[in-house]
Amino acid sequence: MRASLNLLKKYVDLSNLTPEEIADKLTFAQLEVEEIRPLAKADHLIIGEILECEKHPDSDHLHVLKVDLGPKYGIKQIVCGAPNARTGLKVIVAMVGAHLGFDNVEIKQSKIRNVESNGMCCALYEIGVDKAELTPAQLSGIEELPSDAVVGNENVLEYLGLDDVILDINVLANRPDCLSIFALAKELGALFQRKVVLPEMKEILTDKSDLTVKISTDECQQFALTEVKGLTVKESPLWLKRALQGQGIRSINNIVDIGNFIMVTTGQPLHMYDLDLFGSKNFEVSSDYEGPFTALDGKTYQLQKGDIVIKNDKMIGCLGGVMGSESCAVNSNTKNIAVEAAYFNGVNVRRTSKRLGLASDSSAHFIKGINPHQTEYVLNLTVQLLKDLADAKIVCAMVNEDHLSHDKTKIACTYSYINGRLGTDFTKEEIKNTLERLEIEVIDDGDKFTAVVPSYRIDLHCDADLSEEVIRLLGLDKVKATLPSMETTLGGLDEKKVLLKRIREHLIAVSLHEVMTYTLVSPEENKQLVFLNEDAEIKVMNPMTSDHSVMRRGLIPSLINVLKYNIAHQNENLAIFEISEITTDKQSYNELAIALRGEDYSRGKMATRKYDFYDVSGLFQSMMSLLSIDENRYKINLIKSPYLHPGRSAGIYFGNTLVGVMGEIHPSLSEDIGETYILDINLDKFLELKTSVKKMEKISRYPAISRDYAFVLKTDISAGEVVKLIKKEGKTLVKNVEIFDVYQGEHIEEGFKSLALSITYQSLDKTLSDSDIDPLENTIISVLNKKLGAYLRS
Amino acid sequence: MKEKRILQIVSEAKQAIANADNLDKLNDIRNLYLSKKSELMSFMSHMKELSKDEKAAFGQLINTSKNDINSALEAKKEDLAKKALEEKLEKEKIDITLTPRNYLRGSKHLFTTIVDEISDIFTSMGYQIVEGPEKETDHFNFELLNVPKDHPARDMQDTFFIDDNNLLRSQTSPVQARVMLAKHGVGPIKIISPGKVYRRDDDATHSHQFGQIEGLVIDKNISLGDLLGTLELFAKKMFGEKRKIRMRSSYFPFTEPSVEVDISCFECGGKGCSLCKGTGWIEILGAGMVHPHVLEMCGFDTKVYQGFAFGIGIERTAMLKFGVDDIRRFYTNDLRFLKQFDKE
Repeated sequence: MRASLNLLKKYVDLSNLTPEEIADKLTFAQLEVEEIRPLAKADHLIIGEILECEKHPDSDHLHVLKVDLGPKYGIKQIVCGAPNARTGLKVIVAMVGAHLGFDNVEIKQSKIRNVESNGMCCALYEIGVDKAELTPAQLSGIEELPSDAVVGNENVLEYLGLDDVILDINVLANRPDCLSIFALAKELGALFQRKVVLPEMKEILTDKSDLTVKISTDECQQFALTEVKGLTVKESPLWLKRALQGQGIRSINNIVDIGNFIMVTTGQPLHMYDLDLFGSKNFEVSSDYEGPFTALDGKTYQLQKGDIVIKNDKMIGCLGGVMGSESCAVNSNTKNIAVEAAYFNGVNVRRTSKRLGLASDSSAHFIKGINPHQTEYVLNLTVQLLKDLADAKIVCAMVNEDHLSHDKTKIACTYSYINGRLGTDFTKEEIKNTLERLEIEVIDDGDKFTAVVPSYRIDLHCDADLSEEVIRLLGLDKVKATLPSMETTLGGLDEKKVLLKRIREHLIAVSLHEVMTYTLVSPEENKQLVFLNEDAEIKVMNPMTSDHSVMRRGLIPSLINVLKYNIAHQNENLAIFEISEITTDKQSYNELAIALRGEDYSRGKMATRKYDFYDVSGLFQSMMSLLSIDENRYKINLIKSPYLHPGRSAGIYFGNTLVGVMGEIHPSLSEDIGETYILDINLDKFLELKTSVKKMEKISRYPAISRDYAFVLKTDISAGEVVKLIKKEGKTLVKNVEIFDVYQGEHIEEGFKSLALSITYQSLDKTLSDSDIDPLENTIISVLNKKLGAYLRS
Repeated sequence: MKEKRILQIVSEAKQAIANADNLDKLNDIRNLYLSKKSELMSFMSHMKELSKDEKAAFGQLINTSKNDINSALEAKKEDLAKKALEEKLEKEKIDITLTPRNYLRGSKHLFTTIVDEISDIFTSMGYQIVEGPEKETDHFNFELLNVPKDHPARDMQDTFFIDDNNLLRSQTSPVQARVMLAKHGVGPIKIISPGKVYRRDDDATHSHQFGQIEGLVIDKNISLGDLLGTLELFAKKMFGEKRKIRMRSSYFPFTEPSVEVDISCFECGGKGCSLCKGTGWIEILGAGMVHPHVLEMCGFDTKVYQGFAFGIGIERTAMLKFGVDDIRRFYTNDLRFLKQFDKE
C-alpha cells in the first residue's frame, strides 16, 4: 500500500513526527514499511518565465533562453534542449548550485557550445519524480507550469505538491482494511494516541430514485446505487490532483478522480455508469452470462457462467468488481450517472481476474477483502464531492439490496487469558485502554470481558486475535523471555535417522563430498540412468520452466550434472554423493547415490590412483559393515542394464528385489564426462533391515598359519566364487581368504587366469600342525578342481 | 719390578683402546692384552714363585688390571656402536618440508551443516526430530493451517501443484498438523522438522527449492514469552553469546499473534553495516502462537492447550552465518565451494 504522508496528515495529527518515526511504529505493529521515499528531491529551485527563446547559433536543437526569475535573481541566460521551450512559458528553474534528484546532480555555471548557461529548466523526472507517474509529454520536455504560477517563488516542491513523502507499506493478508488511507489514519491515531478526524456523513436533499436493483447471484451480497443527475465533467481542483498525485494516480477528470479518491481513502471500489448510455433504470447482478464483453481497456474478453456481471436487458454494463464496460463508461459528455458501491465475493473476483488475466485496483481490493459495512457512508461522501466538484444538480436516494448482516462481532475473553498467552502481566486497565484505542468496545465483567469489534476490523474473530492487538500496540518489547516449563521430553533422532547420519559422516570421512541438487528436473533427465524404480514420474501442473517440471525418479542424472559442471570448471577429480527423498507416483524413499570420476586424490598428488569398480564396491562394503549388515543378507550379481558397462557392473539384491546397483556408467552415456563409477542404493531398504546386537567373538589363543596358493582357472569364473567355496569347505578352521594377485598373460593359457590367494588357518582349541592342515588343504584343492576346474599352478 | 710392568701394560692397553676407531681394532687389542698368551696372562705362571701373602696381592693386581682393560674395552665398544648409529641416522635424514601425505576428508554440504547444528541445539532441549513428505496434500499444506481454498494468503506463496489435491509442500508447517493429529489431542509436543520446500520463485535470494526447519511446542501453559526465550537461546547458540533478539508483529494464517524475529547483527554488533542494511538487525525467522483454529482442527482442546511454532530458513541461516552471496550456490555444487566447508 502506497500512502502519502501529506494525505494522511489531513486526517490524523502527525505533527512533530519524522517519517522514520512513523515508519518504525508501523513496522513493529505489523504494517511493515518497506520504503520511505520523498516524492521529489531537489533544492535551489525557483519558478521562472521564459522571456526570450532564440535558437542556439551552433546547434539545431538547443535554445538560448532569457528567463525571468523575479526581482531577487533577475533575468538569467539559460541554454535549454527541451523542444517545448517557448516564450511566455512558466518553468521550473534549477539555479546554479542546485542539487537535483536522487543522484544529487549539481548544477554549475557552464558554457554550452560557447554560450553561457546559468541554470537549467527542469522536467519533473529531473527533480526526482518517478518516471512511471508522468505522461509522455512530461517525459519528453520540461514541465509546463500553469500561467498563474508566481515568478520568483522558491517553494517549488510545495507549489507542485511534491513536498510529500511516500511510505510503501506491506499490508499483510489479514489487514485488507489498511489498504485505505482512512484506516491507516485510524491505525496511526491508535498507535501514537493522536487525534483522528475523518469526513462525516452529511444530510443531502434527495429525490426519489427510479432505479431498481436486483441481485440474482450468491456471489454478490450487497449492491447499492445512487443516481446523480446534471453533472459537469471538467478538470479536478488542485487539492484533488495533489491528493491523487501523492498516491501515484494520474488525474483524468473530476468524475474519475472522485471515484479514485474514494477508493484510495475508504478502500471501497466504486463504479460509475453513464446512465444515458446504459439505457435502462434496471440493474441486475447476475452470474449467468456467457459471451463476449468489451471492457474499458478496449479489449474483448470471453465471459463464462460464474463471472459476476451487472446487466440490464440490453447490455452488460460491468464485469463486477473487475472492470466496467466500454459502452456505458463515463466520458466527457456524461451528464447523468449511477454510482455503484457493492460487495462482491473476493474468491469469485480472484478466479475471474486470474482466468482473464485482467486485474484492476478494484479487483485487487475485492480479492484482498473490503469492509462491507460502510456502503452508505461511502456513497454519501461520493455525492458530497460530486456536488462540490462536478456541480451535480439532482441527487436521488440510495437504492440498495443488502443480504449482509451488519451485526458487530462480539468476542468473549478474559484478561488472564491475554496475559497467559502473551507471557505478560498487563493490568486490566492497560488491556482495556489499549483495545479501546482501536475502537474496540470493552464490556467488563470481572476477569471476563466482551469485546465489541468495529465493523471494519474484519480480521478479528477470537480471543487470540485480541491478544495480538494488545501486544501490537503495547509493544512486543514488553514480552519477557522465559522457557517453557513442561514435563521432560526425550529429544533426539530416531534410529533410522541416526544410521542415516552415520552413513553420511562415514562417506565424508573417507573423502567424499556431499552435494545437494534439485528435486524438480526436466523430463529428459528422468528418462535414463534410473535404476531403482520403474514407476511413473510425478509432473508439476504449473512448472516455472520445463527444466524443473517433473519430480526426479533417481539421483544419478543429477549427480552427472554436478560432474559436468565441475569438469567445466577445472575440477577433474570428483567423488560426490547425495542422499535425498525420491517420490514417484507409487512410493517415496531415501536414495543414496555416489559418483566417482577421475583420480582418487585423497592421499595427495604423490599417491593418486584412478577410480575403478572396486572403489564403489569397497564403499558399499564399508557401509554394510557400518550398518552391521552381514554379507549373507544381500546378493551381488552381474546385472544387465543399458546404462551400465556390461562387464563392470553389479546389482545388489535382497532376495529377488533389486535394491541397488554399482559399476561403471555405460561408456556410450559418459562420453562427455569420461569413465565414471556409481553406486546407487535404496537407502531405506538397508536402514530398515533388522540387525541383531553384535556379541563378542572368541579370539583364539593359538597361532594362525597362512599358506599361499596360485590357482589357474577360466577367466569368467569370479574370485568371489572361489573364496566362497574355500570358506564353505574350510568350515571353522579357515579364518580368512585373501586374494593378492590376479594374473593373465605369459605362461598362462589364453582364456585362463592365475589367482593368487592366501588362506589363514586357525583353531580355537589347539595349535594346528601340518597333519591338521594338509588333509583340509587337499579337500579344498580337489573341490575347487571338481566344481570350478581350477588347478594349482605348478 | 713385575708389578711396575703390569701397571705399564694396563696403561698401554688403555691408550690403545682410546686410539681404536673400529670394532676389529678393539678385538685385536683384546687378543693382545687379555688372551692366554698375552704378557699380562703370562705373569700368572710367576705366581708359584711367590709366598702365600705375596700370591694373594699379586693375583689381585692381575685381576684388577684385567678388569680395568675389559671395562675400557666395553665402554669403547658401546661408544663406537653409538657413533655408528648416529652416522647411520644422519644418512637417513629427510626433507620435512615436503608435502605431507594427505588424509583428506570430504565435505558436508552447508545445508546439512545447518540442519545438524540447529538439530543439535534443539534436541539438547528435548525436541524430537520429525520429518514429513515433500509431496503433500492441499489439506495438510493449507487447510489444516487455517488457509482454506481461495484464501488470499495462498498468494503469499506461489505453490507447485501436482493436481487439485496434491502439491509440493510450500512450507514445513504441514508437519505440525501431522504431528498434532498423531497425538490425538494429548500433549506435550516438542518437535522440530527440517526439510526441503518448494515455491515458484527464483533469484539471488530465492530458489524454487529451499530448506526450512519448523518448530512446534504444545503444552498447557505455553506463552509468547516462552517462544521468545527459546528463540533467544537458539540465536545465542547459533550466532554467538552476545546476540540479542527482538520481535516485530507480523501475520501468518496459522499463528496468532504472529511475529518476525530479528537478531542483532553479528557482523557489526548492532552499529549498522552493509549486512544489516544499516539497521543493526537481521530478520532470521517467522514465528507465533499456534492459532486456536489450527489446534482445534488438529484435535487439541484450546481451553487446555496452547503452543508456539516457528520456521527457520536453512539457506538463509547459512548465507548469514557463512557469508554466502547467492542461494544458487547451494545447488550448483561447485567443488571449490563445497571444499571450503570441509571442517564442518
